[in-house]
Amino acid sequence: MTHPITGTDHRDGTDDDPSGREKVTDLETAIADSVHDGASVAFGGMGGRDPEAAAREIVRQEKSGLTVLDDARTTLLDIMVGAGCVDEYVGSWVGTSLISQGHNIRNAVENDVPHHLQMRDVSNFGSSLMFLAGAMDVPFVPTRSMLGTDIPEHNDALEIIDDPFGSGDKLTLVPAERPDVAIIHVQRCDPLGNAQIHGNVVNDHLKARAAEHTVITCEEIVSTDEIRESPELTRIPFYTVDAVAEVPFGCHPWHCYGRYYADLPFYREYGLRSQNRDDFLEWVEEWIVPHEDYLEKIGEDRLETLERMEREINDPAEVRR
Amino acid sequence: MSEEIPTADDPEQPGRSGSEREAATEPGNPLGVDRPHETAEDYTLTELLAVTAAHEIADHETAFIGVGMSLMSGVLAKYTHAPNCQLVTESGYIGSVPPGVVQSISDSVLGVDALVATDQCEIFTDNQRGAFDVGIIGAGQIDSRGNTNSTVVIGDQSYDRPKVRLPGSGGSNDIMTSCGRTVVMMRQKRRAFTTDVDYTTAPGHLEYPGHREELGFVGNGPCAVITDMAVFGFDDDGEMLLESTHPDVSVDDVHDEVQWELRVADDVGTTREPTRAEVAMLRTIDPADVVLRGTDYVYEVGFEEWSETVLEHWRRLQPIQDE
Repeated sequence: MTHPITGTDHRDGTDDDPSGREKVTDLETAIADSVHDGASVAFGGMGGRDPEAAAREIVRQEKSGLTVLDDARTTLLDIMVGAGCVDEYVGSWVGTSLISQGHNIRNAVENDVPHHLQMRDVSNFGSSLMFLAGAMDVPFVPTRSMLGTDIPEHNDALEIIDDPFGSGDKLTLVPAERPDVAIIHVQRCDPLGNAQIHGNVVNDHLKARAAEHTVITCEEIVSTDEIRESPELTRIPFYTVDAVAEVPFGCHPWHCYGRYYADLPFYREYGLRSQNRDDFLEWVEEWIVPHEDYLEKIGEDRLETLERMEREINDPAEVRR
Repeated sequence: MSEEIPTADDPEQPGRSGSEREAATEPGNPLGVDRPHETAEDYTLTELLAVTAAHEIADHETAFIGVGMSLMSGVLAKYTHAPNCQLVTESGYIGSVPPGVVQSISDSVLGVDALVATDQCEIFTDNQRGAFDVGIIGAGQIDSRGNTNSTVVIGDQSYDRPKVRLPGSGGSNDIMTSCGRTVVMMRQKRRAFTTDVDYTTAPGHLEYPGHREELGFVGNGPCAVITDMAVFGFDDDGEMLLESTHPDVSVDDVHDEVQWELRVADDVGTTREPTRAEVAMLRTIDPADVVLRGTDYVYEVGFEEWSETVLEHWRRLQPIQDE
């Protein structure tokens, strides 16, 4: 069965005048409208440009039964798992980068706290290809990765076949994943949903295309004319996007290339406080708050320092042309 | 922090001798460290590990690296003996010249002076074609043929409810399948150097000689394993071979931390110790000790001191990057 992009709504956003076809919304509404209990969700970024504010909003709205379809995922998954939002993870890597292990993820997989987390492993290329297949709207894409290993042994969705064209090669078939919703944080987006990514893209262009519904959170909503000045930066086009929310510092404590550097002490503290269940629940109490309140608690000075650090290495004038 | 760094002499400082000036511009000693090629007086095992892995990357090679220790080693190689190597990361950056340690795979320092900022699918497509010379990965368990596990320690339990859930493959499966050769960095522990890994995440020399070729892999698989005790290569059968032990570590010590009957090279030697220049560079690219010492420094000093320290170290590396 085929899945045309956004079904009957696919003409939305073809008009330069966005009146009446606005996708612009706020974070709270975007999450409430798009992430239903039991939904499958893919998140953009990878230890940089991660939609952390959106994930905290999912926790704040107490979503449950989610399947996270992903590549490598750090703090936001660990927080959602600890808060009991996630039942299953399909992807290549979990942890909180080099700062610590994903304590909540381990606790859920090993000890069923707060409940069991089902894992379905793929390699990193495997995760790219499951979104590529989803974006192409074909049932699978073949690769040479994962052959000869236990990854296909414990992931029933993967198949090993002999090349049907007779080369004699064995291939791993990676099935398409079509998340119910993809949530992707970018530097700039217009009201039509043309999302521009500065720096690396990871799998975000594929996730947006594979998903049934795509939410863009962005540092800044800009005019469509401004997008036209640098079209090569638009990696996610309007016809794959359903909602756009302006969420400044939306990936704190991670990096946002050209905007702000990662807040290492903040996620170091998360790593320490997530080791123990009671400490983690206190952390949730403290930090799972509306995004505006979260930023106020972080403090203006600290956010400005992170911006200054990023300017030191990646000059925004150059980054934004 | 800065006190711990061996003297990086100020080039403007009066009274420096001509030979020291030459040392400052010589490749491999960009910080201008005094007596750069002498063995470092003090270094940690982790630093030895990082330096040894860095030497697996030759000049002009393309090196596929992950987070943590492997990226440290790549960045070190770029700033010391292999200035023309190009670093590739799975998040989409190629040819970066990061001014410091990389905290995550999309760290914006990877964007600094990069040649390419693209996507993960493209990086692994090129990897599958054999575009990259050498990859560096980590692992939780390894067997005698270099098959690695970074997914689950099952013990007497199951994949679904393992004894220990590890982070997962990340790119390690794809790198070990298709990179020209792969270096594995890990801690030497008897429980990790096992006769049978609980789960094969990344394909080493698999079950028998020629097994990789049968599966059509373009990469040659693991070429070295570097631990906190020793350096191993692989013989023609694809079996791990002890090549050198680190200073103060004996062959017997290594035997004790390996479950199988370990093959030992005829000319087993002592691992080359890091030089003063290499240790100084490592400490400059990891100002907050995140990788090297794993201390709670970041947590203890607070946000302000951390940010100032990082900025100060970036600025120290800037003139070297500009060259």
